[in-house]
Amino acid sequence: MSGVCREVITLQLGHYSNFVGTHWWNLQDASLSYDPESPAGEIQSDVVFREGQTLCGHVTYTPRLIAMDLKSLRTLRQEGGLYDAGRDASTLTEGNLTMHKESPPEKNSFLEDLDKLDDTVNSRLTQVQKSYRLEGSVKVWSDFLRIHLHPRTISVIHQYNHDEAHRLEAFGQGESLLQGALLEELEDKLHFFVEECDYLQGFQVVCDLADGFAGLGSKVTELLQDSYGGRGILTWGVAPASHPHSQTPLRDRYHLLNCTLGLVHMAAHSSLFCPLTLRGGLGWRPPSPPEFPHLSYDPSLWYHSSSVLALALDGLTAPYRLRNNSTPMWQVADSLAVSGRKQVVAAYGAVPFPMMHGGSLPDALSACTDALPWKPLSACPEAGDGRCYGQWATLKGLEGQNLISCLSPGLKPPTPLHGLHSGEDVLSSYISSFFPSAPALQLVATPSKLTPPFPQIFSRSLGPQGFLQPAPPVSSVPVLTSLQLGPALDPWLSELHRAAGAFDIRRAAPSFLSQGPELAEYQEALEELRLLARRYRDDSGGVLCSSSEE
Amino acid sequence: MAAVKALNPKAEVARAQAALAVNISAARGLQDVLRMLPELFHWLPSQIQHPTASLIAKVATAQDDITGDGTTSNVLIIGELLKQADLYVSEGLHPRIIAEGFEAAKEKALAVLEEVKVTQEMDRETLINVARTSLRTKVHTELADLLTEAVVDAVLAISKPNEPIDLYMVEIMEMKHKTDSDTQLIRGLVMDHGARHPDMKKRVEDAYVLTCNVSLEYEKTEVNSGFFYKSAGEREKLVAAERKFIEDRVQKIIALKKKVCPSDEKGFVVINQKGIDPFSLDALAKEGIVALRRAKRRNMERLTLACGGIAMNSVDDLTPECLGHAGLVYEHTLGEEKYTFIEKCENPRSVTLLVKGPNKHTLTQIKDAVRDGLRAVKNAIEDGSVVSGAGAFEVAVADALVKHKPNVKGRAQLGVQAFADALLVIPKVLAQNSGYDPQETLLKLQTEYKESGQLVGVDLSTGEPMVAGEAGVWDNYSVKKQLLHSCTVIASNILLVDEIMRAGMSSLKG
Repeated sequence: MSGVCREVITLQLGHYSNFVGTHWWNLQDASLSYDPESPAGEIQSDVVFREGQTLCGHVTYTPRLIAMDLKSLRTLRQEGGLYDAGRDASTLTEGNLTMHKESPPEKNSFLEDLDKLDDTVNSRLTQVQKSYRLEGSVKVWSDFLRIHLHPRTISVIHQYNHDEAHRLEAFGQGESLLQGALLEELEDKLHFFVEECDYLQGFQVVCDLADGFAGLGSKVTELLQDSYGGRGILTWGVAPASHPHSQTPLRDRYHLLNCTLGLVHMAAHSSLFCPLTLRGGLGWRPPSPPEFPHLSYDPSLWYHSSSVLALALDGLTAPYRLRNNSTPMWQVADSLAVSGRKQVVAAYGAVPFPMMHGGSLPDALSACTDALPWKPLSACPEAGDGRCYGQWATLKGLEGQNLISCLSPGLKPPTPLHGLHSGEDVLSSYISSFFPSAPALQLVATPSKLTPPFPQIFSRSLGPQGFLQPAPPVSSVPVLTSLQLGPALDPWLSELHRAAGAFDIRRAAPSFLSQGPELAEYQEALEELRLLARRYRDDSGGVLCSSSEE
Repeated sequence: MAAVKALNPKAEVARAQAALAVNISAARGLQDVLRMLPELFHWLPSQIQHPTASLIAKVATAQDDITGDGTTSNVLIIGELLKQADLYVSEGLHPRIIAEGFEAAKEKALAVLEEVKVTQEMDRETLINVARTSLRTKVHTELADLLTEAVVDAVLAISKPNEPIDLYMVEIMEMKHKTDSDTQLIRGLVMDHGARHPDMKKRVEDAYVLTCNVSLEYEKTEVNSGFFYKSAGEREKLVAAERKFIEDRVQKIIALKKKVCPSDEKGFVVINQKGIDPFSLDALAKEGIVALRRAKRRNMERLTLACGGIAMNSVDDLTPECLGHAGLVYEHTLGEEKYTFIEKCENPRSVTLLVKGPNKHTLTQIKDAVRDGLRAVKNAIEDGSVVSGAGAFEVAVADALVKHKPNVKGRAQLGVQAFADALLVIPKVLAQNSGYDPQETLLKLQTEYKESGQLVGVDLSTGEPMVAGEAGVWDNYSVKKQLLHSCTVIASNILLVDEIMRAGMSSLKG
């Protein structure tokens, strides 16, 4: 059954999640081909997109996506423009009509160009080789969204907003959101997308970890687990490197508590939970964000940081989106869950993968024999001792480059890597030189195609295909990512546990628990986190300690 | 308070008179908005920033939760009570005394309510009158009349003697299609998805309905068997075995179908809460079975109530007794959305109101109106009694209160007078919103009431007095009762506030 399309439904909960998601969908859209003649790509887009039909009979192609956010759509209409039949005159009002129009929010240069192209095929935008400087004008994610969404995609939470007064900032607030009308709305939306899937493989949930959406996310994943047991639920907890609002110690504490509770609950309800952030750490005073050698981005800018995460996510999610030989979501999860338990994993990524244009994979890899080229994307520094229980590495985007070295026969290869005969072997043997256990590998040739409005965050040394060569602008990049389950998670989770347990919640953040959870539940969550951390402790040289010890 | 002041020197404080002024202006502001646009109420509470106004809005919402009606009246009366009180307070009367007067007036008003309520058998006609009275204040007349019958029939279909009415058994389904006047009552169920197989019939008459919660799809096999196979051949075998397992379930359903309709003159419909994969759909389609997958959980209970039968959790003990029956099952396609109508059920205990409208705004408006209408009918059945509407009740109470005034001691009399005057806001607003002069209409009503002694309300089409009961304008007893209680309590509380302080985090920064 390798030919069937195993559908995935995406959920984006929270403002930053939607930033990451929007970049991710833009990447997906950029690699779509509307030309029926061209051969089918490696990535099967039907996995995440669906074909639909408007009331007028026009065929549409929209993401299987449910996005929840506070009221912050600005220029985007909640129902989207695709299904608008354009007859909105109310029949209820009789007699004279007076219109009071709010002036629409100003559109930035990118959206204006997008509007002009709107009648023609979406992919025409790729031909517009105009580089936008949207850094200043992007306020919300819809400012750089280039695809059309299905009218059922967006759900707006009206109880809270982005102002000072009614912010969704505590876990309990988010938890209590999912009831009544919102719950019914979500169930209906889920039902709509799920019912039409023939071979649903699961859900990918992207959820904000630092604010109240963590609470909402834990309820949503619980709902998914209850209603669609047996499907994979991959949860990515995203957190921005910094928040635009003024930082106070109280707010920092809130973020820490939200992260802690969100991590514990979402990990319990997902097949796999992975935090994704460019923060230096989840704890109290995080070190500075990781630096990528070929990127010059501004970590405080959501528009930038989310684009880096989206690139990584494009690599991380590739295995279950392939047309042939795809690894279903649950298998990805199971291959990492060593003893069958639900797991927290950490992500690492080399964005972009450093490789000279025209070079070969062995060359590129042997250039970094001292240290792995990837940087932590989950705020979890690597253990350094090379121990790891399970790993899933994806190298995406080496199309047109040499996966093996082309040495003339008879010559002695300069390194063992140069002597191997397939890209998988090269990567596998390279990674094995750092980790004793062999990783699960996935090589995808198609690179992540970058089209406007992806920010130009690459340093000058990258060529148009993202390989090391001086000539911007970059139009696609190779990415190497890795999901790891290893002892490095123990100090990292313990650190979080220590930080969250370091202060008395009743005194330091008294209003945090005002909307639930109870203090006892909070302490229970802390205890769970401690046990979770212990599971990763390395007592016996690389073998996961069994649960009987606990 | 002083401590807060010491901590936050920027805190704003309004005391006594000033506090009252703030509160009254808030209440009246809200009143002004709703006086003009009663239907605004459904989105209002979340938008209000002012604490007093939001308190009033919350009370009104609570009223809505309890009785489903009277929200606008609530706001109007509270605003008016405060306005009347303001007159006396500005002349030096202490708010506490007015509050006492309100309390006395409320007792009397409740007594009047008991006197004037009409206890009678709730036949369809009375219920239609009640529903019409409620709906006509919410949507335009033609639509209200259309909805009225649908709403009453819906409640009558699901109500059983001596049992509380569960309005959840009336599903409200929306469809963005045609016009609002196409809204109708379906004696059965409408589901917003269809059969996912091209060969399945789009229309089945006289059909057996099997409601089940059994997985008919092939899930997650690779993993479960991942540890056990050694070669590709073994793996194929395992896959086939798992596949067989699902096929067996499908065969059991097909066997049942063959048993109950041997000669294919009757239809057979399977509605499954779990998934059905294309292979199983194919097998079922070949046997002429229509199958729907992934029915919503909340529809499962309704299904068995509408069509009869039992929801099955396994296919092992299928018997013909588990099956429900529907007179007509058909699919309706609108763009990419499919709807399946399960209609003509005998004795449905669950029905569907299919709301149609050209746009989202209309749909929401009709849905709100329908919900209120359902509640009104339910209340009437459960109260067993109704009260004259169209302002007739308020006029009668005001009159009784004025007569009752001498029985109240001291200055509290003024509170009773204020209460009486405040209630009259209802007929006034009714007159005003229909384009008549409020004072003139009110005087006509009062004169007519004194002369005839009958409960007279405003005839909205002429502006003249009419006997509300004869014209069929009835309100819910429980709504009026709740209204009197909550308005008095809130108005008194707001009157008694003597200090307002604003000292949030934001004022510290600003």
